[in-house]
Amino acid sequence: MHIFEGFLPTPWWQIWFAVSIPVIMYGMYQMNKLVSQRREVVPLLAVAGAFIFVLSSLKLPSAVTMSSSHPTGTGMAAILFGPAITSVLGVIVLLYQSLFLAHGGLTTLGANTAAMAIIGPVVAYVFYRSASKAGMNFYLNVFLATALADLATYVVTSVQLALAFPSEVGGVYASFTKFALIFAVTQIPLAVVEGALTALIMKYVVQIKSEVLVDLNVLSSAAVTKIKEAME
Amino acid sequence: MVNILDDYALMSPLRYRNNWLKLSIVTFGILTGVSSTSPFTPLLIALCMGFATVYFGRIPFKFYLKLLALPAGFVLTSAVIIAFFFGTGDILFSFDVSGYTLAVKSGGLNMALLVLSRTIGGMSCLFFLSLTTPMVELFAVLKATHFPDSFVEIAMMMYRYIFVFLEVAMGIRYAQTVRLGYRDFRTSFRSLVMLGTNLFIRSWEQGEKLYLSMNSRCYDGKMILLEEKRPVRMPEVLLTCSYFALVLSVFYLTRGITLI
Repeated sequence: MHIFEGFLPTPWWQIWFAVSIPVIMYGMYQMNKLVSQRREVVPLLAVAGAFIFVLSSLKLPSAVTMSSSHPTGTGMAAILFGPAITSVLGVIVLLYQSLFLAHGGLTTLGANTAAMAIIGPVVAYVFYRSASKAGMNFYLNVFLATALADLATYVVTSVQLALAFPSEVGGVYASFTKFALIFAVTQIPLAVVEGALTALIMKYVVQIKSEVLVDLNVLSSAAVTKIKEAME
Repeated sequence: MVNILDDYALMSPLRYRNNWLKLSIVTFGILTGVSSTSPFTPLLIALCMGFATVYFGRIPFKFYLKLLALPAGFVLTSAVIIAFFFGTGDILFSFDVSGYTLAVKSGGLNMALLVLSRTIGGMSCLFFLSLTTPMVELFAVLKATHFPDSFVEIAMMMYRYIFVFLEVAMGIRYAQTVRLGYRDFRTSFRSLVMLGTNLFIRSWEQGEKLYLSMNSRCYDGKMILLEEKRPVRMPEVLLTCSYFALVLSVFYLTRGITLI
């Protein structure tokens, strides 16, 4: 869920930039380190970013509401590349979305980055890693991690709107419940659909090109053979 | 499927104007719009930027109006929420919904109108940038600022591959549609999974090929861009300055004025 240009009033868009910039700097530092060690990742990261962009421009079918909504794609990227690199790719994707598709904006880039490129991916990554340590089924894990990332993004966006526009009675909390309640209509089905979509994509990727997942440290090769055996 | 604004920017006559001038106009508009305290300044900015985009940039007027309607869903919903739950002052109108009284107060309505006009102003500035300045020109600007090289490189390659994958995605989607792949929820979900998987695997293989091909052409982590020199002309400076002066004076004169 993007916040559009000019929507956040003055102290808030600066504050969200101040929150996002250090994280992005850290992400760039991590990326620079990776690139200087393995130069072949530059094109791979670039196509991964382009993949996120194209995935997020596809319309998802929505069973509950008649409206269609766009997936964020960042949950999947976080599972594959980790949150630091996803944050940098996410910033570029958000910038392109605001320039090419008129989704989002430049002053709200900080707030959108915090919600969609930082907090969502971190939630997905932490969930995926801890659940796979605990031995959860791979598909269920991917589904939950992506869906949770979407939900986190939506909650953070609602918080951002509520902080900027606190309600007269009840303050920030009251207006948070209002924003969250109304956007839940589109955002909760979206999270479920995107989670299922990502889990199924992963199923095909394991079948066809499982070595990618081993390369990226998403799955160990032992886990891949186990999943493949279970399929047969 | 998607309207990429960059396509219009490549054809716009304003493409051949100085990038920094355009960027400063846009930055000025966005910052003044977002910090204005009355709805008049952002609306004036929207009017000027819209005129510049349509008249100087030769963007079809109908297309421009359609673009402005794009953020409407999000913005109108949020504006309605703000109008109902924000602010003090006289109650303009109210109605009962199952025991709750919903009331629009003048403070809330003013706030909603202000936010609405700010968004329109900001979006029109953004449209001016994206409809007149193709990304290829902005890369030169990105290179001149002190972003890390790897960041700019990835941004540039990503830009290229967005178009490649969009074409692939559109082709697949078209093929699926004519085979009734988007008939109902179940089939469209299944088609979308196929599309996503195919795109992922194809982009991965493309990335590996890209590395090989660039490496064999002596890629050392830096693509060199030739930036064209485009001097700022006198009429442009005069027009920009008078626009700035007009907006700033309206900003000063209407500060704190509300519609209601």
